[in-house]
Amino acid sequence: MSTNLLGFRTLLFREVTRFLRLGNQTIIPPVIIAVLYLLIFGKSLGDRIGDIVEGVSYIHFIIPGLVMMSVISASYQNTSSSLFIQRFQRAIDELLVSSMSNFEIVLGMVLGGMARGVVVGGLVTLVCVILVPGTEVVSLGIAFVFISMVALIFSCLGFISALWADSFDRLSLFQTYLLTPLIYLGGVFFRVSDLPDVWQVVARCNPMLYFVNGLRHGFLGAGVSEASLSLSVAIIVVLAAGLLALCHHLFRIGYNIKS
Amino acid sequence: MNLAIEINTLRKVYGDLVAVDDLSLDVPEGQFLGFLGPNGAGKTTTISLLCGLSNPTSGEAKICGHDVVKRYRQARQCVGVVPQELNFDIFSRVKRLLMFQGGYFGVPHRERELQVDSLLKRFDLWDKRDAQMRDLSGGMKRRVMIARALVHKPRVLILDEPTAGVDVDLRKGMWAFLRELNDAGTTILLTTHYIEEAEAMCDRIAIMDGGRVIADESTRELANRLSRESYVFTTADVSVGPVLASFENYQPVLSADGHELTLTFDKSTTDFHSVMEAVLEAGVRVTHVAPVENRLESVFLELTQKGGSS
Repeated sequence: MSTNLLGFRTLLFREVTRFLRLGNQTIIPPVIIAVLYLLIFGKSLGDRIGDIVEGVSYIHFIIPGLVMMSVISASYQNTSSSLFIQRFQRAIDELLVSSMSNFEIVLGMVLGGMARGVVVGGLVTLVCVILVPGTEVVSLGIAFVFISMVALIFSCLGFISALWADSFDRLSLFQTYLLTPLIYLGGVFFRVSDLPDVWQVVARCNPMLYFVNGLRHGFLGAGVSEASLSLSVAIIVVLAAGLLALCHHLFRIGYNIKS
Repeated sequence: MNLAIEINTLRKVYGDLVAVDDLSLDVPEGQFLGFLGPNGAGKTTTISLLCGLSNPTSGEAKICGHDVVKRYRQARQCVGVVPQELNFDIFSRVKRLLMFQGGYFGVPHRERELQVDSLLKRFDLWDKRDAQMRDLSGGMKRRVMIARALVHKPRVLILDEPTAGVDVDLRKGMWAFLRELNDAGTTILLTTHYIEEAEAMCDRIAIMDGGRVIADESTRELANRLSRESYVFTTADVSVGPVLASFENYQPVLSADGHELTLTFDKSTTDFHSVMEAVLEAGVRVTHVAPVENRLESVFLELTQKGGSS
């Protein structure tokens, strides 16, 4: 018995069909939010701001950030809510008593969250392309790598917080006090280079900056991105591998799921 | 003889509490073992250790020869578990839940569908296959949990108080089903509070208390112990103390307030009439007599007073 591929596929299928069935909670809201941002920043404020960099309008500048925000929320929320509810109802036992390996279970859950991030990110991109004339993705490959890897990272973080939290209140702590501020300060709506020097240093310690600018590189090309592509790729690969390993470790020792 | 379950000095400690205390127990393949004990004895913890719901502190356990820690996947493939608490997604639909569970065990789709459909019919759940779990009655939920444990056709079935709180009809139905399953070769470990249930179903009974097995014998041997019967005599006065010695053949136990005298006798050698005579001869004024209903409890009492017999 080397691998239980069917078990893994069953779990992944369950996780993906779960968020597809709950589209009004999982897929539609981030698309609506993105449209609202486009209306406010594109039509209302964007025209006053003008070009943020030579030849790039403000609305085109923020689109990769909007996509990244939707990817982060979608993937984080998928694993955090799915796993926390399973813990809450003890339905997690169904997986614990099964003949799947710990890694297959972790991967099934985490890739389910990643899938939601990719689906939502793809849809938001599509909406932006349709609604905002001139929006294009210059490198689909780079865009896809950043969307999927960041989705994986936040899916892992959702997994970890679902194991850690002992109440719905605690489950939301991480998102409210850490994720949201980091996202908004990560260069979605402004250029870090326009900040005072000290704040530039602080901003460059925020990993979100590399996620947003990596995707910006994919959408708008190297000229607009504020972080080197190789550094950004290194950061997402290290974070994704490290967090996946941490998820596996916590699950293997039964952190807050085995008595 | 092949062993379905081998437990060797298994230990589980939570802080200061030793829930399972160097437990050793072997269950041969095909046996129907009753696992009895008071609340907090460590039965559920032992089951959790066997099924992957808890990690042992020390010691080892094997299912069908596979170590539950080192070769956990092979061990889990051999075992199905029906836990005491409800543990499923309440929004899931019945058939979907069973199909997923079979999938987690790697059962191919076509074979899984056949097995799930046959279990749904066997447990009278066919009409409810598309219902959400939260809409089922308590008895139906129990039945789904048993079906769920059988989707991958395990060689060992572990049930943790499956009949607690279910009505007589359903209990009888479950007994018949478990007997059928055992006759077909499945090893069964059943925990229960109902001694009658264990007597009716099991080949062998192990009694656990304080994390240890304090008795482990065939059902026939235990039934012989159960030929002992206890009665509580309530007295109007508290004059029993001085004459307690006259009941020495009946293991007298006097309550702290001196009003309740419990006498125990072997009904195969002594009849109630002679016990009553002894009470009257001693001049005790009896206002009420009642049998001690919980026979299992009296066995526990006897065993724990002896300090364990296994």
